[in-house]
Amino acid sequence: MAALTTEQLTAIYRRGFPQVARYVARHGGTFEEAKDIFQDALIILYEKTETPVNLKGEQMAYLMGTARHLWFRKHKQNNRETSLDILLETTDEDTEPTYAESKLLGYLQRAGKKCIDLLKAVYYDRMPMTDIAEKFDYSSPHSATVQKYKCLEKVRDAVKQKALTYEDFLE
Amino acid sequence: MNKLKLTEEYLNGHSTPGDALLFEARLIIEPELHEQLQHQQQAYRLINQYGRQQLKAQLNEVHEQLFTLPRYARFRRWVFAIFRKD
Repeated sequence: MAALTTEQLTAIYRRGFPQVARYVARHGGTFEEAKDIFQDALIILYEKTETPVNLKGEQMAYLMGTARHLWFRKHKQNNRETSLDILLETTDEDTEPTYAESKLLGYLQRAGKKCIDLLKAVYYDRMPMTDIAEKFDYSSPHSATVQKYKCLEKVRDAVKQKALTYEDFLE
Repeated sequence: MNKLKLTEEYLNGHSTPGDALLFEARLIIEPELHEQLQHQQQAYRLINQYGRQQLKAQLNEVHEQLFTLPRYARFRRWVFAIFRKD
């Protein structure tokens, strides 16, 4: 895996967006709603899939299934119904960053962009260490791994120093 | 670095059952290690949020291009037709 390029994302968008738009339009939704649902569904697919995203075959079915689910959930919420289903599905991962987290993210980007980009490549894009070594100019996957832990330590210590509220850990 | 690695392996379920048990015992007797584990989990959460923010920004940029650049005019007409009320 690797982060998607703009070219790849454009191809994906052209393939997937019209399908989601058709579903949303058929259910009385707007263009803006289709945009939000498509983008969120694609992000979920990107985070879950083990294969590079190209929206071919099963991936398209997964995207549409997720889009339907998001549409359904949105409409339940508009009706002000808070069923247990919704509460259970709102996992830690789905939540937006808290104010303290946004501030910390801003700080980390300023303090060490290369570090946070390396960590993103490892954990978010699940890039192999050999590719990471090449991309970030390390002599070997081993030295890239050493750097990964150094960067992780930096972020962990920033978390500690900025002393996020205790409630943040309980989520 | 060793503690970070051990913690990561434990959290990912990559430790052997024996190592996991040992790690859990250490978490109980070493409050500091337990605290570090919580901070490390928070660090992973932040990295994930950063990744998601970047992807979201990229998607918005692509959306903007598709719905403004002349070379995508046909695509746009096709999409807008979907939302036209008959």
